[in-house]
Amino acid sequence: MRTWTRFGVCASICAVMLFPLYAMLVVAFTPKSELFNGGTHLWPARFTTDNFTNLFDRFPIGTWFTNSVLVAAITTAVAVTCNLLAGYAFAKLHFWGRSPLFFLILSTMMIPAQAIMIPQFRMVSALGIFGTFWAVILPSAATAFGIFLARQFMQSVPDELLEAARVDGAGNLTIFLRIVLPLCKPLIAVLVLLSFMAQWNDFLWPLIVLKTPELYTLPVSLRFLQGQYDANYGGLMAMALLTCLPLVVLFVLLQRYFVQGLARTGIK
Amino acid sequence: MSVTRRQFLAGATGVAASTWLTGCGGFSKSSSDSSTSKKTVTFMTWASDAEASAFKRLASAFEAANSGVTVDLKIVPYAEMFTGVDAQLQAGTAPDVFRVDYPTMGLYSSTDQLLDLTGHLDSTLTSDFIPALYQAVQFDGKPYGVPHQTDTTCIVYQPAMLQAAGITSVPDSLGSAWSWSEFSDVANKLKASLGADVAPFAYDWQAAGAYRWLTWLFEAGGKLLESDLKTAAIVGAPGTKALEFTRSFFENEWVPKNTSIKGAYPDTVFISEKIAMSFVGDFLLPGIDDGVKNKFEWKATFQPQDARASSDLGGNALVATQQASDPDLAAEFLRFMVSADNMSAFCEEAVELPTLQSLVGEKLNYATRPDLMPIFAQQATTMTADDVAQVTVPFFGQINTLLADQLEQCFTSGQSVDDTLSNIANAVETAAKG
Amino acid sequence: MAAVETVDRTTAERGGSHGRRQLVIREGVTGYLFVWPNLVLLTLFLFVPLGWALLLSLQDAKSFGPATWVGLDNYRTLFTDSVFWRVLLNSLVFTAATVPTSVAIGLVLANLLNRALPARNSLRTIIYLPIVISGLVTSLIGLLLFDEGVGILNGVTRSLGLGNVDWQTNGGLAMLSVVLMTLWTRIGFAMVIYLAGLQDIPEDLYESAQLDGASELQQFRFITVPMLRASTLFLVVMNVIWSFQVFDVVYVMTNGGPGFSTSMLVTYAYDRGFGPSRDFGYGATIGVVLFVITLVFSLIQLRSSRQEA
Repeated sequence: MRTWTRFGVCASICAVMLFPLYAMLVVAFTPKSELFNGGTHLWPARFTTDNFTNLFDRFPIGTWFTNSVLVAAITTAVAVTCNLLAGYAFAKLHFWGRSPLFFLILSTMMIPAQAIMIPQFRMVSALGIFGTFWAVILPSAATAFGIFLARQFMQSVPDELLEAARVDGAGNLTIFLRIVLPLCKPLIAVLVLLSFMAQWNDFLWPLIVLKTPELYTLPVSLRFLQGQYDANYGGLMAMALLTCLPLVVLFVLLQRYFVQGLARTGIK
Repeated sequence: MSVTRRQFLAGATGVAASTWLTGCGGFSKSSSDSSTSKKTVTFMTWASDAEASAFKRLASAFEAANSGVTVDLKIVPYAEMFTGVDAQLQAGTAPDVFRVDYPTMGLYSSTDQLLDLTGHLDSTLTSDFIPALYQAVQFDGKPYGVPHQTDTTCIVYQPAMLQAAGITSVPDSLGSAWSWSEFSDVANKLKASLGADVAPFAYDWQAAGAYRWLTWLFEAGGKLLESDLKTAAIVGAPGTKALEFTRSFFENEWVPKNTSIKGAYPDTVFISEKIAMSFVGDFLLPGIDDGVKNKFEWKATFQPQDARASSDLGGNALVATQQASDPDLAAEFLRFMVSADNMSAFCEEAVELPTLQSLVGEKLNYATRPDLMPIFAQQATTMTADDVAQVTVPFFGQINTLLADQLEQCFTSGQSVDDTLSNIANAVETAAKG
Repeated sequence: MAAVETVDRTTAERGGSHGRRQLVIREGVTGYLFVWPNLVLLTLFLFVPLGWALLLSLQDAKSFGPATWVGLDNYRTLFTDSVFWRVLLNSLVFTAATVPTSVAIGLVLANLLNRALPARNSLRTIIYLPIVISGLVTSLIGLLLFDEGVGILNGVTRSLGLGNVDWQTNGGLAMLSVVLMTLWTRIGFAMVIYLAGLQDIPEDLYESAQLDGASELQQFRFITVPMLRASTLFLVVMNVIWSFQVFDVVYVMTNGGPGFSTSMLVTYAYDRGFGPSRDFGYGATIGVVLFVITLVFSLIQLRSSRQEA
């Protein structure tokens, strides 16, 4: 297929894929009165930052933003560490029950989160962490997808490297830290991004287990805006923009590693 | 294994960070959980902007009137309010006081989650409550909360659109409210005059408001439950009449197609001038006012009547939980919130109706459209104690859900009227047993 | 002399094999040590709750008040629950609509964007950017686009003179709107996985095919697609799991409506468990059934692919 045909097809698809984000951007800056006048809203007559200033007036955005960052960062740290360790173990260490255990862990991906929400918060209150950030961090750090990616990726680390290190007398931990991890930078990027993103975007669980509004994370604010009867799209889009902007920035910065990392999970 | 300086630094930072973090509020049980020398009342509620500001003012007033007491007001999103309450009740960390609508309250009062207020409320107060509403907060003859405010539905309309359709008179008193046939006339005239894009009206039965369909049933002289509150009474002539009439809204295209039970809320549609009239609750007036601003003039009138007039039970009660650390203080707070002065202040700011008889006749200084509120106040008096009893049974939550499902099937999926009525009757009786 | 040497050698050998077994044991222990943090988390927050959910499904449990054991009653009710079957059908339709489509489009895009193209990196970024947009924000944008009254799409169709489209009142169109928003977030991931897979296909395969006179389409069918089989398997399994577990988009955009046209298994479980009826037992039952269905499907997929290979 000729280059320009390919470009044309791709560009059109991209235009369609970009349209929702464009809509969000435009409406975030459209004044409320214009939103209800039945027009197309594709290019408002007036631009305003009222939607944003309103948000900052009504809600403790700064606090919620900090909460989101804190919770997402810690969850990511815990989850990625656990996933790397476990991934390495499943990829390179031989221990009794390794295969069945791995499949057992994979099967947890099939559990729908909402179906176990009630037992999960009974667990959380039994552990005495209900109402604290740990109630959000710990359950979210338990994810099988990360272990799966880590194991796939680490399988591509050549065994000879590890053998050589062992012959030199290195212990397992040293091999892991000094040899394997430095080779895993793309994997770490993928795990960090996916974990941070999943935690940042979660709204239902934090809403239920964080009973104090001061502890809320940013996406929860979107539920406030949806209100009991409201359809204030201007405010909603403004908040939505604030909510996804940090992730978009993070993603654009890390995207090279992300693609590399996924590639080397060797899904083949 | 030698530890490099970098490793040491990393480790030290980690330790320092985690120490700081554990000191940080979100990581340990907050101090308000443990008893401190300051007495605290935790109050959990959802709130519109107007309600939130009113609650905050009243909370400060309570603190000022009771030195050494703090009111910890927690405002949460409506959609997940009760999931949160349920979770906290189960975890044993429930708020001392929370706000709950009358139909949902039965679930908590009948399962021993709420504080029995007998002995905390004196008879001058309880006899001043509107009887139907005081009835609504009782279970087994005992009060488990205080009725704080009530809302009901009336019709808001654009006079310009009605005049253009040749509708010259609009009811201005409860007695002269449109009959069903007069209402049908109005709808037909509007349909003829308005054109394809605009519909005559929309009704507010979306989502959790499905029970507002019962207004039509009551107006037709029907009932949902017999007086034993366990046997279904909906199958019969009034039920058939009500369901056929409401289904005709969709058949005759009197309402926009997307405003059925699982559809869009009518107030937004009214603001964007896609309907000439809308059935809305009084709590929506501030939002409509804000959305309409000066675009067009709008007024209100009464709901239609048939065999009788009726309306829907809206509004919320304030309740205290069994888990409250200081039951007397919690009860004190409840009494404070329903005293005449505080109730009228709240209702004026939030644009909602009071629950004390002594306030009903008074001209309250509502923050938005004080000219329209008397209409809502009068419409609220059409509810009888019997109506209220039917919508406040402990299992009403289930009734609301099944009503929503069955009505949706009838309105949009062509389920027959007879089937719908018998389905509802069966489901109601199953719920009553469970 | 020889005897001593023999003794020494035997000792050395024995020391050698003992040392080797020690290594194996130590590796095994290390393996467990490395795995236990994750295992603790998974046990506490996934395995135990799953077991609990199983217990709940055997009870008539409401939010409060005592729960009574009812054995398999909930499951019996489930099988005669017409709403459940409708919801199951919806989930199947949704899965059938989203999985092949997103995988296929991802494959096509990966191919198109594999070779040099102006602004290739930007194009790729635009396509997989929606991955980071949360389900909630995606649904809100979906509402903005598809709202019948004030939505953007209807605004456009109205200004083009085509009138209103019944995105929310027509069951089929509502399902379409939910499917479209889901596809928006899935295509990018498929594309990335395929891009990675394409890098591993040796160039000379294509060269020799071209020499044999194969057209681009034939090269695609007979070289590209088979070589990407592992990627396809991975994508299909993951997408099916995700589609069966769809929640946010439906919960926020249509709330399952109109009627039950867009209700899915998880939203139905949530409605029954957390909605006004607060029937935790029944909600747990639906969840358990969903888990089993997904598990069975994945096993079938894996087994059939292993047989092929």
